[in-house]
Amino acid sequence: MAADTRTRTAASSRGLFDRLRASPFLSNLLSNRLAVAGLGIIFAMVVVALYARLFVAGPFGAPLSDLTSSQLGNAQNKAPPGWLAGQGLLTDIFGTDAQARDIYERTLYGAWLALKWGTVTVGLSTVLGVGLGTLAAYYGDVTDNVIMRTMDVLLAFPSLLLALALVAIFGASLGNAVIALVLVYTPRFARVVRGAALKVLEDEYVDATVALGASDPRVLVKHVLPNSLAPITVQSTLNFGLAIIDLAALSFLGFGAAPGTPSWGIMLSEGVNNGLLTGQWWLSFFPGLFLAVTVLGFNLLGDGMRDALDPRMRETVD
Amino acid sequence: MVSKRFVVKRLLLLVPVLFGVASLVFAILHLAPGDPAKVIVGQRASTAQVQQVRTELGLNDPIWIQYVRFLGDAVVFDFGNSYQIARGTPVREVLVERLPVTIELALYGQVLGILFGIPLGILSAVKQDSITDHLTRVGALAGISVPIFWSGPLLILLFATSLGWLPTSGRIGTAFFLPDTWTLLGTELPLTGMVTVDTLLLGNWEAFVSAVQHLFLPAVVIGIYSMALLSRMMRSSMLEVVRQDYMRTARAKGQGAKITVLKHGLRNALIPVITVIGIQFGTLLGGAVLTETIFGIGGIGTMLVAAIGATDYPLVQGTVLTFALLFTLVNLGVDITYSYLDPRIQQ
Repeated sequence: MAADTRTRTAASSRGLFDRLRASPFLSNLLSNRLAVAGLGIIFAMVVVALYARLFVAGPFGAPLSDLTSSQLGNAQNKAPPGWLAGQGLLTDIFGTDAQARDIYERTLYGAWLALKWGTVTVGLSTVLGVGLGTLAAYYGDVTDNVIMRTMDVLLAFPSLLLALALVAIFGASLGNAVIALVLVYTPRFARVVRGAALKVLEDEYVDATVALGASDPRVLVKHVLPNSLAPITVQSTLNFGLAIIDLAALSFLGFGAAPGTPSWGIMLSEGVNNGLLTGQWWLSFFPGLFLAVTVLGFNLLGDGMRDALDPRMRETVD
Repeated sequence: MVSKRFVVKRLLLLVPVLFGVASLVFAILHLAPGDPAKVIVGQRASTAQVQQVRTELGLNDPIWIQYVRFLGDAVVFDFGNSYQIARGTPVREVLVERLPVTIELALYGQVLGILFGIPLGILSAVKQDSITDHLTRVGALAGISVPIFWSGPLLILLFATSLGWLPTSGRIGTAFFLPDTWTLLGTELPLTGMVTVDTLLLGNWEAFVSAVQHLFLPAVVIGIYSMALLSRMMRSSMLEVVRQDYMRTARAKGQGAKITVLKHGLRNALIPVITVIGIQFGTLLGGAVLTETIFGIGGIGTMLVAAIGATDYPLVQGTVLTFALLFTLVNLGVDITYSYLDPRIQQ
């Protein structure tokens, strides 16, 4: 009995592995060194984020207030990185900020915040966009027009400006910044998904399932969605980098995370306010570096995915 | 040729979008928390004072009357007066004063991006899969990934704070005072509001140099992003074109490789890149908000941030609507240019 289960598991996992290896998308992607590098960066950042959430400030580390509130009584403020001041590599590796908080710890924790809120933003806009896009494609006519013209209106604004205007309505907070960005990104997903869904709906097997009496939800979930998954994934990945930048930008401008939050956007704005004219470059440098590298990871992966989907771009010129 | 029908159709399609845009902007004022009248008279004012201002602004009228009035005013670009930031000044005047500042910045950034991005993209495509190509591609991706609010402060720290070569913020040295008008052959004409142009019109060479020094870093920050995006587009567009039959024919006829690429390839490959330049204009305007904040430039971006912070709704509405209108018009221009270059689009 036990042996029987084991064989079956082995067989099915081999099946899955074979299927993955056979998929041209995945093999294209994995042969792209830049995409693999992107995947590596993202993986490393996820590890950093989880480490920060557990061991820097969290169940196995200090309380979060060590990162958010002033530490002026306990440490020197605007202390340069220890290795610059000749105090050894491991003391204050990124220096301290104007409130004497440790920039290394805050930067690591920023990875957790960026990935968490990035996931929420991209997740919500993907779900909303996929829903609206499929409905528009499937029902056509009035539904299509109402949905897509609304999306056109949202697309008529430069994205950061629309987000700013929406934050003006909702009030400035991290949660509201996320909601604003979800509304800004949803139309892009809706467009991509509608296009992909329309292509799928042209296929004859969809007509066949409808003729066999399949209900609308069944056609959408069983056939349309799985077949438009690839473009959705590409769009999500590319948008992830954008979401992280835009969230940080809103925080930087004072319309996102609260002051004191160890988010990269807030750290950069504090770096500009406290170190720009007096030359404390480490206040801005490290949080920005992590932000840029994370975004680069998502862009590398997203770019590779797009190339893998469209193999024409990979051919060499003769 | 671009057919008139195509242009007219595109213009008509614009109407519902702009109508929706205006409606959304109207909603900003009416969904936003807080009473605009209180913002104007201040929190300590009496109820009677607040009511008086509400009546003056027409805020006590039924919402649909306010909506119709807003649409009517929006058509003639009248958004009322600023509540706070430029107290009592018509929003239109504020916009006219601030817009050239932002456009000047975006233009210089875009020009830098085009000057460096397009040649890099061509080089990358022609030498596909070489070291040059790999470096350009990774560099371009990095350029897109680096946020303006990081590269900006780092450049200031290096070139202004540490080395002292360039100023840290502002548009022109404090020693220079620019008048409102200039004189050409005895007639007084208004200045453009673009500081590099104005200083030249006034013939003030030292002020011009100062303006260029101030504009340099912000333009570079915007230019890096623009360059990265354009070189990517140029590369993929060029690769697409290089595979076409007419390229092979040109080579078969004995034309040199360089001439083929530049004469036949570039002309066709530029078409999609023009689209990107247009679409990017919107991104640049959005980016201007950040760049202006970092470099302390008093354009429309810094004003919008201040207006949102001070709940100056007419100013927010006017600014956002202007941006959306500019963005939409540029996209329309791009579509028309595109169809002129590639007539197949019109069908």
